[in-house]
Amino acid sequence: MTKMSKESNLLVTFSKRRSGLFKKASELCTLCGVEIAIVVFSPGHKVFSFGHPNVDSIVNRFLTRNPTSSSSTTCQLVEAHRNANVRELNAQLTEILNQLEFEKKREVEIEKIHKAKIGKNWWEGPLNELEHGELEQLKLGMEELKKNVTKQMQKIIFVASNTPTFFLGGSSSSNGDVKNIKGLGLSMATNGHTSFP
Amino acid sequence: MTRKKVKLAFITNDSARKATFKKRKKGLMKKVSELSTLCGIDACAIIYSPYDTSPEVWPNTMGAQRVLAEFKRMPEMEQSKKMVNQESFIRQRIAKASEQLKKQSKENREKEMTEVMYQGLTGKGLQNLNLGDLNDLGWVIDQNLKEVYKRIEAVKKGASTSSSSSVAAAAAAAVAAAAASQAVPPPMEQKPAVVELGLDPMQRTQTEWFTDWMNSNTSDQHIGYGHADEMILPNFNDNHNANVWPNNFYP
Repeated sequence: MTKMSKESNLLVTFSKRRSGLFKKASELCTLCGVEIAIVVFSPGHKVFSFGHPNVDSIVNRFLTRNPTSSSSTTCQLVEAHRNANVRELNAQLTEILNQLEFEKKREVEIEKIHKAKIGKNWWEGPLNELEHGELEQLKLGMEELKKNVTKQMQKIIFVASNTPTFFLGGSSSSNGDVKNIKGLGLSMATNGHTSFP
Repeated sequence: MTRKKVKLAFITNDSARKATFKKRKKGLMKKVSELSTLCGIDACAIIYSPYDTSPEVWPNTMGAQRVLAEFKRMPEMEQSKKMVNQESFIRQRIAKASEQLKKQSKENREKEMTEVMYQGLTGKGLQNLNLGDLNDLGWVIDQNLKEVYKRIEAVKKGASTSSSSSVAAAAAAAVAAAAASQAVPPPMEQKPAVVELGLDPMQRTQTEWFTDWMNSNTSDQHIGYGHADEMILPNFNDNHNANVWPNNFYP
């Protein structure tokens, strides 16, 4: 193993590996409750550092050969508070990583379905493989579908706005106040895990 | 490689924790070493643990002291600029992962809705979809329609002789000619039917689409789903009015 030759690769490698190194250090701190400091100079002579509880205290402790000095009550309180924060953050991170993993698996599933259908329905294929007549038919079909979608949406809103319990205030108004539609909890969010039969 | 996924929390079992520490500490030191060699840079690592009175150091005490002296020589601001602790580092990881999650979810949602669109084209009903689903579906249809219009336009421009003798084709051509005079799509390279779309457009246009639709209907107080003919349909596409087209093709 020697120094890499290409400059651009080197910068990318440095960036990725440094990131991975800090991640490993962070995990080690969390899992084993140890104190770490890492100092790294970049090829561009910038300095990156990671430290738990913080870089300076560990560096000073090392350089002055001081045994641990944090035994006062205030220090312990601060440390306990900090550890609680870190626990909370790790939990958050774990949750998001789990969700990300779920979505990636979902992508694989969706791709499987898609691959199984290649070549079967002409209208699902690439547009530049369709003849003019097919394009026209596709266009009309989609326009019709669009109309039906709108109809269905209006139907849902109509039914909802005419249900007395819909408005928190009580009486339903025939005015159909547009602003109150937000109370419906319209899910514009795109990370819903809706699945279709 | 691990067979089981490790939970990101303090290991309460003492022996398990000690074993993990030994393994991971070794791995960490190896990684620092690799980083230093591969990239030709200076680095050091210091680990204090309850298992040892003196810290574990890479490369060695002298080497680390040298690197740290260099570190201390730098201006205060340079030192702190890229300095992180557990809290700030994990926050960074959370932010990055959230972005990835958002992007992945959107892509999945889009692909899912495209599948629903195809099913809709073959006549499958929309009853199982909620308002949010329908909204997203409408948006996906719009995006794909844009591509279809562009493709039709491109085909007509590129078509030299091509005319088929069937009535359907002639009727389609007449309909397409009417479309051409109305639609003015910007020139763009042709794309396959499923459009790969980015994060922001979907979010922004979803709201626009729905807002436009709602605004165009506030004046009409009698939105009855049984009276399809009287309904005012919004213009999603600036150049195109959906009401014009015949709906002979699908019942």
